[in-house]
Amino acid sequence: MDRLLLILLLLFYSINTDAQRGFAFNRISTEDGIGLASNDVHCIYQDKKGFIWVGTANGLQRFDGSKFIHFSANGDPMPHTTVTQIIPADSNRLFLSLGNIHEFGLFDPVSFLYKKIPLQPKKEISPRANYSAWKDASGDIYLSVFKYGVMRYDKKQGAFVDDEHFNLPASWISSVRSFFDDTKKNQTWIATDSGLCIYNKATRQTWSRIFNPGKNPVLQNESIQEGVVKLFIDKKGRTWIINWPKAMHKSQLVCLDSTGTNSNTQDTAGISEGPAGYIEHKDIFETKTGGIWINGGGILYNYDLEQKRFNYIGSDADVTQIGITYETVYQVMDDKDGSIWIATNRGLYFTSAVTGTFSVINILFDNKKNPTEITDILELDNGDYWLTSWSYGVKSLDKYLRKIDNSIYNTPPPKSWTSEQKGNIKLTWALCQQKKDGKVWVGCNGGVLMLHDPKQQTTQYFMPPEFMGSTTRYITEDAMGAVWFGTQGGKIIKYEKEKFSEVQHFNTVVHKLFFDSRGMLWVATYESGLYALDASTGKMLQHFTAGEGPNKLFTNSGSDIEQLNDSIIVLAAGSLNFINKYTGTVRLLTYEEGLPSNSVLRLRTDGNGYLWIITSNGLCRYNPSNNRITSYGRRDGIVLAEKTNMADFQCREGYLIFGGSNAMIMFHPSAFSNTKPPPDVTITDFKIFNQYYPVDSMMMQDKIKLKNDQNSVSIYFASLSFMQRDKLTYYYKMEGLDEDWIKADKSMSVNYSQMPAGNYVFKVYCENLEGIRSPNVTQLHIYIKPPFWRTWWFLSVSLFVIALIIYVVHRLRVNKLLAVEKLRNHVARDLHDDMGSTLSTINILSSMAKSKMNSDSIKAGEYISKITDNSQRMMEAMDDIVWSIKPSNDSMQKIIARMREFATNVLEAKDIELDFSTDESLYDVKLNMQARRDLFLIFKEAVNNAAKYSKASKVEIKILPENKKLVLSVKDNGIGFDVNNADGNGLCNMQKRADNLLGKISIRSYEGEGAEVKLVIPVS
Amino acid sequence: MNRFLSQKFRFYSFVCIALLTLVHGYNLKNGYLQAFSMVDEPLTFTTFIEFLLANGLLRFRMPLLFIISGYIFSMQDKKPYPVMIKKRFTTLMIPFFIWSAVGLAITYLLQQFPVTAQAVKDSLMDQLGDNRPYEEIGWIGHEKDKPGILFRWLVAPTSFQLWFIRSLFIYNILYPVFKWGITKFPYIWLGLMFLIWITQFNYYFVEGNGLLFFSLGIWLQKSNYPIDKKPEWFSSYLAWVCFIGFGVIKSFMAFELEYSLLSQQILLLLYGATVISGLLAVWFSLDDVVRWCMQRKWFVWLTAFSFVIYGMHVPLIEYITMLLYRYMNHFPNYRLMVYVLAPVLVICICVITGALLRQLLPKVYRLATGGRGF
Repeated sequence: MDRLLLILLLLFYSINTDAQRGFAFNRISTEDGIGLASNDVHCIYQDKKGFIWVGTANGLQRFDGSKFIHFSANGDPMPHTTVTQIIPADSNRLFLSLGNIHEFGLFDPVSFLYKKIPLQPKKEISPRANYSAWKDASGDIYLSVFKYGVMRYDKKQGAFVDDEHFNLPASWISSVRSFFDDTKKNQTWIATDSGLCIYNKATRQTWSRIFNPGKNPVLQNESIQEGVVKLFIDKKGRTWIINWPKAMHKSQLVCLDSTGTNSNTQDTAGISEGPAGYIEHKDIFETKTGGIWINGGGILYNYDLEQKRFNYIGSDADVTQIGITYETVYQVMDDKDGSIWIATNRGLYFTSAVTGTFSVINILFDNKKNPTEITDILELDNGDYWLTSWSYGVKSLDKYLRKIDNSIYNTPPPKSWTSEQKGNIKLTWALCQQKKDGKVWVGCNGGVLMLHDPKQQTTQYFMPPEFMGSTTRYITEDAMGAVWFGTQGGKIIKYEKEKFSEVQHFNTVVHKLFFDSRGMLWVATYESGLYALDASTGKMLQHFTAGEGPNKLFTNSGSDIEQLNDSIIVLAAGSLNFINKYTGTVRLLTYEEGLPSNSVLRLRTDGNGYLWIITSNGLCRYNPSNNRITSYGRRDGIVLAEKTNMADFQCREGYLIFGGSNAMIMFHPSAFSNTKPPPDVTITDFKIFNQYYPVDSMMMQDKIKLKNDQNSVSIYFASLSFMQRDKLTYYYKMEGLDEDWIKADKSMSVNYSQMPAGNYVFKVYCENLEGIRSPNVTQLHIYIKPPFWRTWWFLSVSLFVIALIIYVVHRLRVNKLLAVEKLRNHVARDLHDDMGSTLSTINILSSMAKSKMNSDSIKAGEYISKITDNSQRMMEAMDDIVWSIKPSNDSMQKIIARMREFATNVLEAKDIELDFSTDESLYDVKLNMQARRDLFLIFKEAVNNAAKYSKASKVEIKILPENKKLVLSVKDNGIGFDVNNADGNGLCNMQKRADNLLGKISIRSYEGEGAEVKLVIPVS
Repeated sequence: MNRFLSQKFRFYSFVCIALLTLVHGYNLKNGYLQAFSMVDEPLTFTTFIEFLLANGLLRFRMPLLFIISGYIFSMQDKKPYPVMIKKRFTTLMIPFFIWSAVGLAITYLLQQFPVTAQAVKDSLMDQLGDNRPYEEIGWIGHEKDKPGILFRWLVAPTSFQLWFIRSLFIYNILYPVFKWGITKFPYIWLGLMFLIWITQFNYYFVEGNGLLFFSLGIWLQKSNYPIDKKPEWFSSYLAWVCFIGFGVIKSFMAFELEYSLLSQQILLLLYGATVISGLLAVWFSLDDVVRWCMQRKWFVWLTAFSFVIYGMHVPLIEYITMLLYRYMNHFPNYRLMVYVLAPVLVICICVITGALLRQLLPKVYRLATGGRGF
């Protein structure tokens, strides 16, 4: 690993002449359509969740790997202007510096609340002052205002205050450019125009070259005290300083060793390379793995740990496929995966091949003069690489991929060869090193072969007649040490015991010879399919073609062969063709099943059994255990794969090399094996009916509560690893709807429509290529509130009301039955009371009359007369009972009519004048049967008394309403009586009946002044 | 007081205390359910049943116990006040300290074995929220603002149900005030007490929960209200419909309503309605059950151990629940099974303990139960 892991960069190497070198940068710009607001990106910050925050010329944005989001802030208005600094503040808030308008504020990503931070200077700040914010190790934020001084953010006041925190002379404090916190020594370094200072937090002393009691060597170093803009101490203790010596008219970078005394020129090797014109060193950044980046105006350097020097990464104005373009690099940052993010004025860049987690080398050859076709690759025992090319012959690279000379052409070809034959030694196509003696066979054009002895540095030349002048397309060695050649002309020739012999002749181009683990020889041909030969006899054992039948190849032209296991041979022929050599069955894996292209060109298995595939659409990997294809591209540092379609090789340390047209890539397969679990999945967005909702604040809640009509949601998720992002497989499940886990598609989102009300838990996790799952399943609790009529409480209220209604109905029925019973009892009692005794009397009187009929007719007549009276009363009583029961008499009108009739009959018989008055409004009054009867009997008693005893000449009867009461008055002008001495059942009965009516009865009379009976009862 | 009324008091005292095991044996996320508590967990059969019983239907117990206490205390108010208070100290506060100590001792004992210690820890029983082993906490408490075992014994017992007898003792001390209010201004007093109850007002050790019902007990006794007879206006059907209906509605609402002040107020009103209708339904409509039970010797024998069940069931019920969870969690519906099984186990343990104590150490038993249960 060691070697290439240290070569972090995409190198460039030129076999021929000119060439380029640089990182495989991925550019994100406004043209990508993923929402970047401006290509002028000033600052970057990755939050704890993994979101990338960018400050652009058009404001603050958040990137989740697939899109940028602009925030509309609450609270103070947040201008969409240049955000020059993003600094993490307390409570997960972001401190923003809006440099252009000299505004500063705190933004809360959860609540979207933006709050401006006012400045409270003690004196006037120049309108042309520059501002720069900085956070120290304890979390305090400072603002250096050039030509003013330093202000500190006071959390209580919510403002920057000038509390003269740093004890510096006025001329120094007004020219502070930057700070650096040395947490080990509890010191703050302050870079000023006047020189460097150290602020000791414990003693609150400030040291400088003027006052340097600790004799700090950096402060003593006069050569770096002029115009210091930046100081940085890296993990190795080296001190990096950027300053502007007046004499130089440009910035310089100085590196002091850990003693701070010696200028470390070795560590700044390469830093002087770069553009000749004006440059400006702005910042120094150290990655988590110790890599150093220096950026600024017109420059971007990265320290190459392998070569121990800085590489200048120049701006490529053409924005080539692997380059970066910029005028100013504002900031460099590494994310949690170690990918490097670069903020420039020409867009946002990131590159993943940076931290040693994996490395890829892309080599792009210059093709301005001639194309460089790499036809075969070989690693020698000493670690050198040999490449065959068509027209440049065999070229060599050392283990650092630097071009070196080789001795292959030291021995000239036989003089007897023609110039054309001699020229063929530069038209090389195939390489093979013999195991027994290390000699290297080189197959060339025109049937020319070279056998080079690296030890002796001599070369033998052959032009065997068996080749018939045909180009050698492939050379391999069998287990017995015999060397096999496949030719353009279709021959398979074996070299054994220093003798060439033809084994087979296919009459087509032989692309590949491959000995499987059992020694069977497989031959991939042009348009003739795949052959399997018995290597010992040369006898053809199997032949697979793209003809008819179930076990056919995708095409007849095969370009490469590999063996997956003891039984499966893989042929690159259009798609992937898996051939079971024992059963003869063929299985295809095509574009439709995930292959990047149905044009597979190169195959190579690695030590872990994965099959690496070059297709016309780039590199991919086949995992035989799960039959899954994974593509690798720019984000993985693979840039030139589609060009490397001619040759492949597996090095001793496991590195794979693919070469081809002007390009070569080299990587270790383990670089793509991430043994760390991917980060937990983050819910990046939440939409209800296509409307975005703030997911951060939603995730703060235990549960997302939605109304019953908010039942169509979209959930977006991602594991915020920008490196592994495309290599992760997501599985989700909505508990309450989904039975099993569902594999997510590439959109990393899921829609649920018309969800029934209830509780749901959305769960999601991811899995990397090695099958390692994210540590935790991310959960989102969702509650869709049911409409109230579908809640259990409403249902139970309804049942409760039904039960009450049943009770009320039952009660009414019981009451009705009780009323009927009461009525029957009442009638029975009346019949018994009113008629029973009278009938008894009649019975007795009739018996007496009967007995006296013959003896005393006068007495009998009296009895009969009494019988007549009694029967008359009985009839009246009967009439009253019937009248009171009869429902048609319920109306007050009928009652009053009967009263009038009764009074008229009684009083007229006595020749008493009747004055009967009433009011029609009483007709609406309703009285029940008993009340009606009681009222009538009171009336009857009163009228009877007046008729019988008053000796009146006139009786006034009034039945009138009075304040929701009925007033009955019977008044005569008779002789009157003493009410106090009055006795009799009649008056008692009247009182009882009045009580039954809940009324009051009053009798007023004086002797000689007539009498008045007045009844007042409540009515409705 | 006639014989049947006496039997009713004994019956309901036992039943109310036995039901405490169900009330305190629930295992919802919210370990301290109040009258207006809402439930923030999915509505399932088990959670609903636990909530319905613990915070709905069985909430009539403490009011009924307070009514009985007020009634009986009022019957005995002819004795001199100091004599009464002295007696009540013996019958209420001494058992308080004894059973508080028993709760602490059980906890300490279980903290000595890994499995039971985990059950103690998981039960989160400590009223002060400090569930460390008592050996770490110490008698006085080593840390500031973290009282020790002594404080737990005297003020904040692990057997938190003892608040009832402490409150009762305080009510007894305040009895003259109750009597004055009830005899002079009965309706105003009861109205005031109702407000205190429905608003869940508390003031230190004066629990607002019991004031109304203790007063009601006194008023019923003083007014000679015939509580042993079913009133003419009483409808069993209506009382049970209201009791179960309000309880069920309240329980569903507690699960389904959005958390808000209004929701809590609705729950509080429903709680009041459930308790009142429950009191009426249970007291007036189960006379036949009371008669049947009190004619059974075994039942009468059981009722003698009401106070032991009362004093001992917490923290036992919590620890046993945790242990049953540990060993039964592979059964389907184990949570509901434990909710039913644990109270039965606890009652058995308490009755056996009480019977043995009464048999072997009658004096101790008398002291611990305040003379009850002979």
